[in-house]
Amino acid sequence: MAELDEIIHQPLRLRIMAALNALPVSTGLEFARLKKLTGATDGNLGAHIETLAKAGYVAVDKAFVGKKPQTTVTATAAGRGAFARHVATLQQIIAGKQP
Amino acid sequence: MIDSQQASAALDDINDVVRRVRQSRIYQTASLIIIMWGLLVFLGYIANYTWPPLGYAIWIVTDLVGIAGSIGIAAFSGVGPGAGAFAIRLLMAFVLFIAFGIFCSVVLGHFGPRQMLVFWPIFTMLFYALAGLWFGYAFIVIALGTSALIVIGYFYAGPALLLWMAVVHGGGLVVGGLWMRRI
Repeated sequence: MAELDEIIHQPLRLRIMAALNALPVSTGLEFARLKKLTGATDGNLGAHIETLAKAGYVAVDKAFVGKKPQTTVTATAAGRGAFARHVATLQQIIAGKQP
Repeated sequence: MIDSQQASAALDDINDVVRRVRQSRIYQTASLIIIMWGLLVFLGYIANYTWPPLGYAIWIVTDLVGIAGSIGIAAFSGVGPGAGAFAIRLLMAFVLFIAFGIFCSVVLGHFGPRQMLVFWPIFTMLFYALAGLWFGYAFIVIALGTSALIVIGYFYAGPALLLWMAVVHGGGLVVGGLWMRRI
């Protein structure tokens, strides 16, 4: 029986992973755009990205564009795999194949 | 464990975010193309105003540069699987649209310079508006806003129509494109 991924299952982390997974492989989202797309606040988003990064599900790249710091978040291969398994489990629950 | 209702809500949430990301990516690429066209047509109108006899040559060059630039931006922006075939269909739709415009304006209509000057921008704005039905309301807002200003100029701008067009068509596209990048 497949288990839900407890790290991804949290609503905001689910939205973060959904957003990053919708991009082509190796393409990331800039922090401000991710915040807009997920409807998160600055602190909230930062904390959840850190949780996902510790699990190895996302990579965080900090760079300077001109004089402005820019943080880009990208889903890793492990993150994409975990997200796909999580979605499959959700679908199994809906289909009644999971208790 | 969660029940099927909660699982369904989670999947709905995922689908909502995926839809937002797709629209955002379309807006990011389209806005660059729109801003580029805005700058190009602004320069085109100013050049046309400065050297009226060169009007046709100016617009042929403007359009060719614009088409090449649009293809370049779309290719450089990086797109997902299946997007290549979609881009070709979109290009074909645009070619058919332009062919119909030529048929209307030259063969059927015999438009004069003033009519021609407003017909093509409004006609291409119609393409934007139709695209907006699939790709997001921002295209429709830009198309309707710009078209309304163009029509006002057609009736009231008199001999300054080319300058009016530079501001409302060229400037309208630039402002619209910048706005699209923020939403």
